Amino acid sequence: MGATFTSFYFLCFYACILIIYYLIPPKTQWVFLLLSSIAYYLLSGNGILILYPVCACLAAYAGIRIMSGTDNLKKKRAAMAGVVLLLVGSLVMLKYVNFGINTVNGIAGIFGSEEAVLTGFKFMVPLGISFYTFSILGYVIDVYNGIAVPQKNFFKTALYGMYFPSILSGPILRYREDGEQFFTHHPFNYREVTFGLQRMVWGFFKTLVISERMRFVVDTVYGNYGDYPGAYIWLATVCYAFQLYTNFSGCMDIVLGMSQTFGLKLPENFETPFFAKNISEYWRRWHITLGVWMKEYVFYPLLRTGVFTRLSKNMRERFGKKRGKQLTTFLAMFVLWFSVGIWHGGDWKYVIGSGLLHWFYIVSGELLTPFFNKFMEKLHIDPKKRWVDVLRMLRTFFLVNIGFVFFRADSAADAFYMLKGAVSVWNAVILFDGSVFTLGLDFIEFTIAIVSLLILFAVSVMQQKESVRERIEKKKLPVRWIIWYALLFYTILLGNYGPGYSAAEFIYQGF
Amino acid sequence: MTREEVFKTLSEVFQDVFDDETITVNGTTTSEDIEDWDSLEHINLIAAVEQEFGMKFTMGQVVTMKNVGEMADIIISQI
Repeated sequence: MGATFTSFYFLCFYACILIIYYLIPPKTQWVFLLLSSIAYYLLSGNGILILYPVCACLAAYAGIRIMSGTDNLKKKRAAMAGVVLLLVGSLVMLKYVNFGINTVNGIAGIFGSEEAVLTGFKFMVPLGISFYTFSILGYVIDVYNGIAVPQKNFFKTALYGMYFPSILSGPILRYREDGEQFFTHHPFNYREVTFGLQRMVWGFFKTLVISERMRFVVDTVYGNYGDYPGAYIWLATVCYAFQLYTNFSGCMDIVLGMSQTFGLKLPENFETPFFAKNISEYWRRWHITLGVWMKEYVFYPLLRTGVFTRLSKNMRERFGKKRGKQLTTFLAMFVLWFSVGIWHGGDWKYVIGSGLLHWFYIVSGELLTPFFNKFMEKLHIDPKKRWVDVLRMLRTFFLVNIGFVFFRADSAADAFYMLKGAVSVWNAVILFDGSVFTLGLDFIEFTIAIVSLLILFAVSVMQQKESVRERIEKKKLPVRWIIWYALLFYTILLGNYGPGYSAAEFIYQGF
Repeated sequence: MTREEVFKTLSEVFQDVFDDETITVNGTTTSEDIEDWDSLEHINLIAAVEQEFGMKFTMGQVVTMKNVGEMADIIISQI
């Protein structure tokens, strides 16, 4: 069947599930969702790998049962630590052992070793491991902290861990907020189902019309960057920013829309991130559930360890209250951003592009803000002016794009080479002399891409005020129908998909 | 310590942590009301409150506290 939501077979699979879901007795709905999730996982890739998420759910269930059955703090802690070690251990083993081995070999190479010091392993990595591991880990830690209800039914724990729309690409779930709704009855609600389907169409529009078009330009330039220096790299990187955003957020629209048709409300993962005015705000708007997870389960616990508390005290005594506090926070943030980077994959291009580079941006921002504010004051610029906000958004978008070069390039070394190529050749003329139409999209295709991006932009601006779907709902019936059918046919006619076309998988399904 | 006294002391801690003498907190104050109260400052604030009142918040309380009222309730239950 293929795991991707844009495949025809998946849509047939989903349509059958949706119909049956509302025909069966409501108390069996969750069982049916569990069976559907198992079927989806088995049909999506190598079926035997389902043992990994099943074992993770089993370990979590066992840990939760032990924790809820005792008042002994040591026993509780041991149960929690056991599950965390097992889940993090299998994640590290499957995703990161080769990263360590490659890094050691790389360092040995620098010191003159011609042969690899260590040999890498070949593992079959189960789909969605980074997502389901985090959803389950968060739940186990929350039960330990006494803020989540311990589930008594293993099969219900398994549905939470393996719910098919979100297992491959997220959002990362939080049981204490999202868990219990899976097991309540969901009678058919026309409005919810319609809203869900509308959101799915919007997701398909983003993915098939925009992301799949951007992919041509990105693949051409990033695949042969030696032939495409200067402005080509800038153009391809901006295209990649939109490719990745529309791909991942489009996938989330499909996942959240699909869940809404089942009567389930999953957490939002995006909030128009390219409107962010600084990098911290960007991370509150991009892959929100990962940021929240890292904050709650890495950053806060780290800052509250004895080591960091003592360090904070020492730093304050040595460097003064403000600077000392800043230094400790920066150090904890380094760990946080390293974790965010490496979560995306065991490769330095992720550690830099999605992690440490952003740490550098935030630390620089914190340190430079007082000087920048003084500078604005001297020039008599009102920081609340709209045009200042627009400049801040453009600056943030530019900084984020530097990170995307690493994220998309084949390796960190390639990314450095590309950035060098981007600034060492001045050829902005290619943006105006028709050269851009040789990158995989002709004039008409480029126009479709630009018009679609403008639609996305207009909707994103409207979203800042209120839900666009609710706004459309208030219109008269013919207007509503015209809008939704226009979007549907626009996507069907102009989307890149179907037999003979190999649509790329959702980028985040690889993580 | 009465609830009012707790809020008075909390206001002083907030003023010190956020370097702003104009801050006064009450039961409904949230991070939305104080500009610098973001996730980076949250733990610094928690540590300062713990030190001032000689108590400890659990990790669960740290992440689920919704407003200063809840913070005051936890403090009162522990001192």
